[in-house]
Amino acid sequence: MSAPRVALGVVLALAASVLARVAVVSGGDHTSLAAAGERWWATSPDPANPVACATCHHDPAETRGWAASFPKFKPLPPPHARVMTLLQANAEAVRRHYRLVDPRPVATAITAYLTTHGAGVPLSPGVTVGQPVFPPRLRALGESVARGRRLYASECAACHEAPAIAAAIADFPRMRGQRMESLEDFLDQHAPRRPLAWDSPAMADVVSYLVATRADRAAKETP
Amino acid sequence: MMIRLFAVTLACWAVVLAEPPGAWAATVISGTVKNKAGQSLSGLALLEKGEIHNNVWDRGTLVDANGRFRIEVPDGGQYGLHVYSSGYIYSPKAVRVESGKALEVSVVLVPEPTRANDPMIKRVGFFPWEERRGKVTFVKLDVADPNDDLGPQVLAFNAAAGRAYALQPPRRVRDLKANFPQGVYQLELDTSGGSVNPREWHFVVADHQCNTTDVLSFPHEPRPPRVIRP
Repeated sequence: MSAPRVALGVVLALAASVLARVAVVSGGDHTSLAAAGERWWATSPDPANPVACATCHHDPAETRGWAASFPKFKPLPPPHARVMTLLQANAEAVRRHYRLVDPRPVATAITAYLTTHGAGVPLSPGVTVGQPVFPPRLRALGESVARGRRLYASECAACHEAPAIAAAIADFPRMRGQRMESLEDFLDQHAPRRPLAWDSPAMADVVSYLVATRADRAAKETP
Repeated sequence: MMIRLFAVTLACWAVVLAEPPGAWAATVISGTVKNKAGQSLSGLALLEKGEIHNNVWDRGTLVDANGRFRIEVPDGGQYGLHVYSSGYIYSPKAVRVESGKALEVSVVLVPEPTRANDPMIKRVGFFPWEERRGKVTFVKLDVADPNDDLGPQVLAFNAAAGRAYALQPPRRVRDLKANFPQGVYQLELDTSGGSVNPREWHFVVADHQCNTTDVLSFPHEPRPPRVIRP
């Protein structure tokens, strides 16, 4: 068998594996979405390369604070290092480690899993509990929040008050009918005047602003 | 005269006491390397200076049989600590150490479930450059990768100098996230101060998916990798 055929076979097998698992989610609710994410977290779709997320990140206590720490600066090799949302960071990892051409469904499910796993952890964008704080990374996040504030003011604020939207983002990722939907998917589809791609830095800026708004409000409400 | 001597002595003490506490203390990143069962692992601990994954390799050390390592750094700040042990997935960790302080890190490594996807070091060679014999030596590493997703981590470590290096790929790669080519990587060494001692050199290669070669030490004869059962 020729090498291209073998490669095509591997790609088709991986695609079938992805579709099979996504199909399991499509009939369910948020709980089943998170459960599917946990399966993706624990198992690689490629039997020839069985290293999964959980192989290295095996300590549930270590990962519990991850969702609350996003958006944050992800130190990818330059020039790719930038502030990312949890979904964007998961998509980046899934694309690289699981070699998925379209990482979004799997990344959405894993985002749901990590969000559920970290339920109740206070929001701390840019800072993971138990990890060192890196001032340059916090500065990058602060700049992202400022860009997001400007973008929100010009594109969104005419119709939507930021505090109300900031509160609503806690519901994502979610099942909408038979389809899973991340916050980034929703905003990607919603922006009527200016497209906001789900994996773009601009999307990370808007989400950074909304999460910062939500975190500020939560901090004020904490007795 | 005595008064002048007293004044000078007093001034010296004032300078000494004005130094911030810890200014004379070494800045150290040290730690332990174990597997999940708590077994100590030997290997390599290498540092990137600045943000992790920037490929600016700086210092390093061998991790001893008790799983201990200690790296003294000239300045406090941010470093990328990468720990390698044969048969285990390497561990990258961003760390921050304050000047004059010691940072203790615990590293837990996980065995690679298969070695089939690991990059391979096929050959290592040390070649004095004929035209400038005695002044320049090239360290060459012939590297292959079954997944063809090599990254920039084609690394050499000189234990005598405590220095880590990324070898130059066979052709220039601008994007550190791109797949690096297979072939002969090289490092140009200034050997005008003395010849290269191959016994001091250790090598390791990791791809973008964290598949990692064994740490290759003198006599630099690659052996088939083995899977470590957890």
